Amino acid sequence: MNIQEYISSGIIESYVLGLASEEERREFETLCAQYPELLRARTEFEIALEKQALSATEPPPAFVKEKLLNEIRAQGKVISLGNGSMQTNKRWKYIAAASVILLAGSMAWNISMVSKNISLSKNLYKAKENIMDLAAEIGRLQQNPNVKMASLRGMEISPQSTATVYWDTASHDVYLLANNLPAPPSDKQYQLWALLDGKPVDLGMMDFTVRQKKLLVRMKNAANAQAFAITLEKMDRPDPSKPGGDMVVMGKL
Amino acid sequence: MNLNTTYSEQELVASLRQRDEKAFAYLYDHYATALYGVVNTVVPDKETANDVLQNVFVNIWRKFDSYDPAKGRLFTWMMNIARNAAIDEIRSKSYANTRKTQPLPEDHEISGAVTGPRIEDSGLKKVLGKLKEEWRVLVDLSYYQGFTHEEIAKALDLPLGTVKTRIRSALIQLRTLLQ
Repeated sequence: MNIQEYISSGIIESYVLGLASEEERREFETLCAQYPELLRARTEFEIALEKQALSATEPPPAFVKEKLLNEIRAQGKVISLGNGSMQTNKRWKYIAAASVILLAGSMAWNISMVSKNISLSKNLYKAKENIMDLAAEIGRLQQNPNVKMASLRGMEISPQSTATVYWDTASHDVYLLANNLPAPPSDKQYQLWALLDGKPVDLGMMDFTVRQKKLLVRMKNAANAQAFAITLEKMDRPDPSKPGGDMVVMGKL
Repeated sequence: MNLNTTYSEQELVASLRQRDEKAFAYLYDHYATALYGVVNTVVPDKETANDVLQNVFVNIWRKFDSYDPAKGRLFTWMMNIARNAAIDEIRSKSYANTRKTQPLPEDHEISGAVTGPRIEDSGLKKVLGKLKEEWRVLVDLSYYQGFTHEEIAKALDLPLGTVKTRIRSALIQLRTLLQ
């Protein structure tokens, strides 16, 4: 094994931060016992992390310490094992909800990006509110039997890009979820199209500044569609009802 | 042992194994602010964060025998307890209920943070803020929200390989930023 390569692979950081899988942890621990340089690199990262964490400046209120000391005194010094462990894995209950909340997670970041002037706690608070709203919104769409979903995948010019379209076949409402679209150049914008027998129908431009705040955007209604696509279009082109630019993502219903 | 005792990490660990309350008070004084920073990043509501921090230290005290120095430094172990407890909290039912009944703080209450220190300028959060944006989202989801790579890939509709690569790159950059 090339230990230097292993050291710089990111495994030290995942292990220390508690992000490594069970298997990765076991391997890491075995190797740590074999390679002193790995152990050294781990300790260095731990110390750096600890130093940074210790530079935090906001102390908890004084009463927390008081309550804490009272609590451990009340419990006495003999503690039975397995009592009150907080490692209980509640995760299984949340897996169903996780995917929805996750989508919103990236929105939380977008929000905290646009409102740098407000304090972080406020940002996160707001973001969490919005996450619940978005989660509820997407949940409603996914539960509605009339709503069809299309996963739009990246074309050659932008293979990483993805987006999701929710189309209500009864009300004809169209919602666009911009999962992963890079910011367009300043003179260009994204435009959504419904495709029917290969013909594009304009469903509206996507205001990227809006997307920064809102991940799920309502677009123009579509009476019928077989697929959806997003193109990257020049801002002031003569006929915006026809696509002129490159297709970025596309997906069938 | 007088009130001004300072401990090396080894001494601290040895004293805590003996259930030495003074050592525990020292541990709290030394690390509570750092761990509060970790908890606060996940749980923005201050009252809840206070409760979580208290539980974190109760658990550090109770489960101290399970700390194994061969697997990492004391702080690393405590930080992971703090992070797990905070994530458990935001995923709990009671947290969702508390959140509903509390009004949004007013702008002027927190934005004029001239009078107090600002969290975003200190601790780990400061370093995290320096990461590339596309990475930061993933670090936030995996580290601060506790989602697995698979869950993130599924929810963001990204290939699992991309998620893994980006998180790895972000973590490597994190190490550089810490140095």
